[in-house]
Amino acid sequence: MQTFIAQVINGLSLGSIYVLLATGFNLLLLVAMIIHFAYPQVVVFSMYIAWVVLRYTGNSIVLAVLAAILSSVLLNLISAPLFQQVMKNREEVDINTTMVLSLGIGMIITDVLSHGFNKGLPIAFPSKLIGETPILRVGLISLQGGQVASLAVGVLAVSGIFLLLYKTRPGRAFRAIAEDPNGARLVGIPLLRTGFESYALSGVLGGLIAVLLAMLLGYSSPGLGEQVAHKVLAVSIIAGLGNLVGGLVVGLALGILEALVQGYISGSWSNAIAFVVMLLVMLFKPRGLFGIKL
Amino acid sequence: MQKEIRMKKKVLFFLLILLIAVSVVMVGCKKEKAPKVVVEEWEIPFLNSLTGVIASIGEYLQWGAERAAFEINEAGGIAGKPVKVIGVDTALEPQKGVVEMSKIVDWALVALGPVPEPVIMAAAPIAVENEMMTMTATTSLEYAEQFFPWSISWFPATKDRLPPLARVWAEDYGVKEVVQFVGTYGPWPGMAAAHVEGLKAAGATHLGDIEFGQDVVTFGPLVVKALDMKPDGIIIAGWPDKAAKIVQELKSRGWTDMEKILLFSSADDAALYTTGGADLNGTIIYNYINVDQDTPRWNAFKEAYQKDHNGLQPPSLSTNYYDAVYMIKRAIEETGVTGDPKKLKEERKLIAEAMLNMKNFEGLLFNWDMSDGVPTNKPGYLFQIQDGRKKLVKEIRG
Amino acid sequence: MSLATYYFLTITAVYILMSWGLYLPYRVAHLHFLTVANMLISGYLSGYMVQTLEVPFAVALLAGFAAGGIIGYIVSLFIGDAPTFTVVIVGFTFIYISRTAVENIKAVGATMGMFGLPAVSGSPVMHRWTILILLYVLVVVVGFLIYRFEHSRLGRAASAVFVDKDLATSMGVDIKRLGRLLQTFSSLVAGGCGVIYGFIYRSFHLDFFTFHLVGIFMTVIFVGGYATMWGTVLAAPALYGLSLILPPAVASWRIVIYGTILIAVLVLKPEGFITRRLAYKLETALSRRRRR
Repeated sequence: MQTFIAQVINGLSLGSIYVLLATGFNLLLLVAMIIHFAYPQVVVFSMYIAWVVLRYTGNSIVLAVLAAILSSVLLNLISAPLFQQVMKNREEVDINTTMVLSLGIGMIITDVLSHGFNKGLPIAFPSKLIGETPILRVGLISLQGGQVASLAVGVLAVSGIFLLLYKTRPGRAFRAIAEDPNGARLVGIPLLRTGFESYALSGVLGGLIAVLLAMLLGYSSPGLGEQVAHKVLAVSIIAGLGNLVGGLVVGLALGILEALVQGYISGSWSNAIAFVVMLLVMLFKPRGLFGIKL
Repeated sequence: MQKEIRMKKKVLFFLLILLIAVSVVMVGCKKEKAPKVVVEEWEIPFLNSLTGVIASIGEYLQWGAERAAFEINEAGGIAGKPVKVIGVDTALEPQKGVVEMSKIVDWALVALGPVPEPVIMAAAPIAVENEMMTMTATTSLEYAEQFFPWSISWFPATKDRLPPLARVWAEDYGVKEVVQFVGTYGPWPGMAAAHVEGLKAAGATHLGDIEFGQDVVTFGPLVVKALDMKPDGIIIAGWPDKAAKIVQELKSRGWTDMEKILLFSSADDAALYTTGGADLNGTIIYNYINVDQDTPRWNAFKEAYQKDHNGLQPPSLSTNYYDAVYMIKRAIEETGVTGDPKKLKEERKLIAEAMLNMKNFEGLLFNWDMSDGVPTNKPGYLFQIQDGRKKLVKEIRG
Repeated sequence: MSLATYYFLTITAVYILMSWGLYLPYRVAHLHFLTVANMLISGYLSGYMVQTLEVPFAVALLAGFAAGGIIGYIVSLFIGDAPTFTVVIVGFTFIYISRTAVENIKAVGATMGMFGLPAVSGSPVMHRWTILILLYVLVVVVGFLIYRFEHSRLGRAASAVFVDKDLATSMGVDIKRLGRLLQTFSSLVAGGCGVIYGFIYRSFHLDFFTFHLVGIFMTVIFVGGYATMWGTVLAAPALYGLSLILPPAVASWRIVIYGTILIAVLVLKPEGFITRRLAYKLETALSRRRRR
């Protein structure tokens, strides 16, 4: 029983990675109609920026967080016009083109990280960021501060963004611009400023996610983004594109499924089995378990 | 009178014969002039992964080869001519590797690499077909022997080389029940199987293998599975950064007997130390070079490496292509190869034959013999990691 | 012909065929990544047949085509008219499953790979000529079939589906049947490609078939032009050749260069270099010349 509980906690920890990334992915989709396949790579880039700042400021976490947020915002703002340009001739979300564009962005980010940082080697974050000792350890069950923080923030982020987008004026403005810029302009929503705010918001979230992942994993590598990108996309699709609550549930469920497969079946089969389960879900519910929310 | 004339003729005839005989002997004994080297510079191509996911490994392999070239040139070159190592990037892509090898077989006497296994498999057959030696100094015998006699192995057979290392570790640290983490790549499952043989020889029980792929991101589930089997020893045979994460995860779940964690040789890479840091302290790692040796040649190598790599210790693979370049030097000088393009085929054969059974090769750290392309009498070492450095625990031979 | 030219030509042909394999389903807006899994499965199957069962290469090649086609057909029964994302996930799933399966099957070398596949005919030189001729015959045949498809009712129906699925349905286009046809055909081609790809190297290794290939083929399609088949013919040798001729200092940034080219094309020339209009103009000009 203890083993099972330990694996479930591991699963929640793994799942919180997917939740955080899927939330950022869905946010971009909701405020900008962008399928940003390379969103995990953007987050990993912010992790590297945070690491550089930590190294040169004697492990100042505040500065590292600010740097991660700033880099994420900048990347979003740089890529925003590219996405807007490829989408301008389509009236709905152009899945394929934005996916391919984000693939290109992801390729560039991964290669820049391989060349330009730490000679392409993985980076490790200071132990005080991760938590030097577990906050709870009972036999095989172990809980680190980073795990608790990332799960808690993941849930809070989903709730906060949900409230923002669906219950506040600025949030409705973001969604209006994403769905129909002309209509939004007609009702008096300032496009440029609101568009900037929406990208900045997703950038802020991206930076925070970068720091949380640093706390959770304790390391990063150039290939980390690619390793999780497929699953983040799958989580978002299975939950229902743009469905924040669905992303939370499915992300955690996938994490638990993977942990149980690794724990009770085989580590090398965990990806294959996880994708088979997701595939079966998709075949029966092509619009996602919780419905598309675009 | 006539008798005297006949006597004189006999003497003259005898002297003439003697003169002819001496002339013949002198001509026969005259030292043949050494064939003249025609190249201005010995160019040795090195098919390496200088970009891509293992670029950091490719970098220090290249460094080792260039270091050897530097030293050789400082000492007068190979047969009086300088040597140059030409890095040829295959970016871990077989489709690039084959094109690069195709170009190389047109002119090169011998090639270093390819690196790593997918490129070896795609490109080495081209070298075999063109009867050119390729020195795949970072892969196991099980890969290299596929291309004999146009390849040599840097390592003895896995089934012979690894069991003693695992056995000595288990015996020395009193390990009785072992779980093994195995990365699903290339020869690693075979190496893991060889570890198990060593454990059996030590009277230890192998509780099971936990396989993992390259895209595993967190190790909690795998470590919990391992600990649930209640081992008192762990062997890790996987990617260096992931090996470090497994160690950290074990520690976070209460593992304290660090010397009862054995890391395999392929984990001994900068990524292990940069990811694991102080969490690796006390773990045991096995490898094939002893970094604590005190010889002028090794000290010079180590110093130069640390200068160029922010003080990091040279990884064990960094010496492989260094030695390979020296092996090429010796082969060229012993065989009198000239580098004449018209004699390319026969000179390639001479070099290959010289290497396949080279005796008492003076490597950077130890001497060894080659026997039909397989090294004999190479040592293995157990080290304990402390603060990012390896401290020698034991040397193991055979 | 030099060896380097041989490898350039053969691998370019594989890139063209595999990119066409992605291009065809994309005509109905499906990113059919299952083709990479088809390459892997058929490749290893054929390697096993030739090396272990000592089956002639021709039979193994046919088996590779058949395996690709059968898998593609069965899968298409479920996803023939599925949303784009479902098709993407199916592709990823099969790539993961096939790689993991091969890792664990000792009979095909598991993680070590398969070595020393026999030459397909006689000497190494004959082997190379056979592979080269086979590949370019395949390029011509597949190219012809795709050309006929594009100039047929089915091709026009596919264009309609790409532009507006609902309108196409209301005009009577059977999207499911069309999707099934395109996916099956692309999987069949990919299966054959996988066999030949391994026999180019005369070995198989898992790292010959990675997600990286997905990126390469998508770049070829989108840079060359996703609206016509000719873009692939232009982009495949150009992009592959670029990686071979770049000077070493620049070559190390190859992926950044590819990514930049891809982004630039998507933003500035969304349809790729060879647009439908350009292809139409060229075809018209050529047919006028023929008539004269």
